[in-house]
Amino acid sequence: MSALAQQWGESLRSATPAQGPRWLDELRLRASDQLTAHGLPQRKDEDWKYTPMRVLEKLNPAIAYHPGSENHFLEKGQTTERGLNGKWFSDPIFPAALLDKPDYEIRVYDGVLVGHEGSDRPGVTVLSLSEGLQRYEPLLRKYIESVDISGSAQAFTALNTATLNQGLVIHINQQADAGTVLLRWALSGKAGPSIHNFRVFLLLDAGARMQLVEQFESADHSGSALNVVVHVELGSNAVLDHLRLQNESENTVLMSSTRIEQAQGSRYLYAGFDLGGGLVRHELKTVFGGRGAHATFLGAFVLDNARHVDNHISVDHASPGCSSEQFFRGVLGGRSRGVFSGKALIRPGADESSVRQSSANLLLSPLAQIDTKPELEIYADEVEARHGATVGQLDEAAIFYMRSRGLGEAEAKRLLVAAFCRAVTDRLENQALAGRVSQLIDQAMPSFTQEN
Amino acid sequence: MLEIKNLHVTVGGKAILKGLDFSIEAGQVHAIMGPNGSGKSTLGNVIAGREGYEVTQGEVLYKGKNLLELAPEVRACEGIFMAFQYPVEIPGVNNTYFLRAALNAQRKYRGEPELDSMQFLKLVREKLKILHINDDLLHRAVNEGFSGGEKKRNEIFQMAVLEPVLAILDETDSGLDIDALRLVAEGVNRLRSDDRAMIVITHYQRLLDHIVPDKVHVLADGKIVARGGAELALKLEEQGYTWLEQGGIQSLGAELRA
Repeated sequence: MSALAQQWGESLRSATPAQGPRWLDELRLRASDQLTAHGLPQRKDEDWKYTPMRVLEKLNPAIAYHPGSENHFLEKGQTTERGLNGKWFSDPIFPAALLDKPDYEIRVYDGVLVGHEGSDRPGVTVLSLSEGLQRYEPLLRKYIESVDISGSAQAFTALNTATLNQGLVIHINQQADAGTVLLRWALSGKAGPSIHNFRVFLLLDAGARMQLVEQFESADHSGSALNVVVHVELGSNAVLDHLRLQNESENTVLMSSTRIEQAQGSRYLYAGFDLGGGLVRHELKTVFGGRGAHATFLGAFVLDNARHVDNHISVDHASPGCSSEQFFRGVLGGRSRGVFSGKALIRPGADESSVRQSSANLLLSPLAQIDTKPELEIYADEVEARHGATVGQLDEAAIFYMRSRGLGEAEAKRLLVAAFCRAVTDRLENQALAGRVSQLIDQAMPSFTQEN
Repeated sequence: MLEIKNLHVTVGGKAILKGLDFSIEAGQVHAIMGPNGSGKSTLGNVIAGREGYEVTQGEVLYKGKNLLELAPEVRACEGIFMAFQYPVEIPGVNNTYFLRAALNAQRKYRGEPELDSMQFLKLVREKLKILHINDDLLHRAVNEGFSGGEKKRNEIFQMAVLEPVLAILDETDSGLDIDALRLVAEGVNRLRSDDRAMIVITHYQRLLDHIVPDKVHVLADGKIVARGGAELALKLEEQGYTWLEQGGIQSLGAELRA
């Protein structure tokens, strides 16, 4: 058991219990016991084999509690004074927004929901966790209790559950459209190294739609950790476009676990861009609960220095006639390390399923490392499955060709890397957004093109 | 403009160029002919600055300066352009974007203002018109999926836009059918000018029917063995390289022997 897990265990035991429904109090205790008993993920945990906890242990964050803010969610457009001097909408800690005029903007500052602003679209409800628990208790309870918190491999969901009291609920009624929603995360580092926990519920009823853009970037580089658990429920024919971009500092730890349940005909599109962070892990698990559902997981990561990014995708084809795709592009310089684990399970009876997996990676330095592991388990008939994984280097012939036309070596490499990543950004429907993401990818590159 | 003296080059430890002398002045077009393996492409690559070619002796002066110490991109900015024998495909990099970035890198080096996309497009349209090239090449990725002829024409198009001082055409005729050859040659001829030098590296004489050189150099076993006018190319075509290798050079007049 690591010193950090012990320290967290002691902290959880001595913390003032958060107030809530009794089942939740009990669950928090159970999660706390699990975490204390099993500690952090270890090398022997198959799912964590390539992702050591060193960066987190070095950061040594204390658990941040936000008991006072439990019922503190603000009315639309209001501001809070809590650590933000009443100006959070202009607080420079939040970087330039990826979306110009989102229909909703929601901000989470140091693990606390500090406010939201947006149009009143019919059928769209945005609530804090405590408000959500009052309104949708049986539903939220179902999700909260469904989270696996057992064993060291689940240490982060256990921690998230043990400290559960900050969260966001977005509910979209049948056939309603929330438009574009910008969810911005920031860590201040003001209270010293801390780990903040947060829970998100995205509940889309039948035929509902939303385009969600999540943005992570800390202004302070002293280091913090954020541990997020996301529940997504897509009713039949619901459509969720989910873009996540993080550009965190090198001593930031970001853990996310997203569980998606898809009813028939629903569509989920994830596009994840990891351009920073010290230790980052995204777990995404989707389950097809009805015919004709579709999930696409796109991702690009561009890493330098000693950054570590781990994308863990798993698709459960539990129903027939569904399709899924995983498409990742990784660029690694310095001593950085990337992990891609893409799993697709086609259960017996899930006939006429289609699965595509592609993971291509460029190593720009001899010390960079990628572990890529596509995994297909097929127990059904008439399944169309394709997968491929490649690891390579920049094409020297192309670099010379470009240099012979006058481009500097670093610029030539930048163009090649940008082209490599464009395979992902070209898949985004929102052209303006794709352009912004491409720019950020471009900005993430110079440090490693120069060092080579 | 370019002066090469006693150039010795090894590739992977193997001597390829063994004391090559060559020079060219502005306004001239010189052809370098020779059998396979004689070192023609090595010469082009050494001038363009490709890695893996070790100069063990001799010097290359360009505008009076030591060319060999310059990075490939600096050579390009100084006005050197090589049309590749095998143009490289660069998936995902748009041809127009690439060419504008290259031109602007060169303009920046020379202290000239960079062209915005409108100005660049105007320039490109003019060049396309002169070269009779269809503008669909512009919208594609650099050389990706281009036919052999399209690749070579794209090289000439790049040359037209970048307006080099010294151009090297490395076996630009290889892999072209007669019609494509004529189109490429016409493009090259339009780019001949008093302040530009061109070195045409070729295996066959037929390209020189279209691009008539001021001078022909014959390269064999790493050295220039003969120099003459366009008629020397015809002589080679007639006799073949075997003749050359079997000592036929001795039958040439002393004025041609290098």
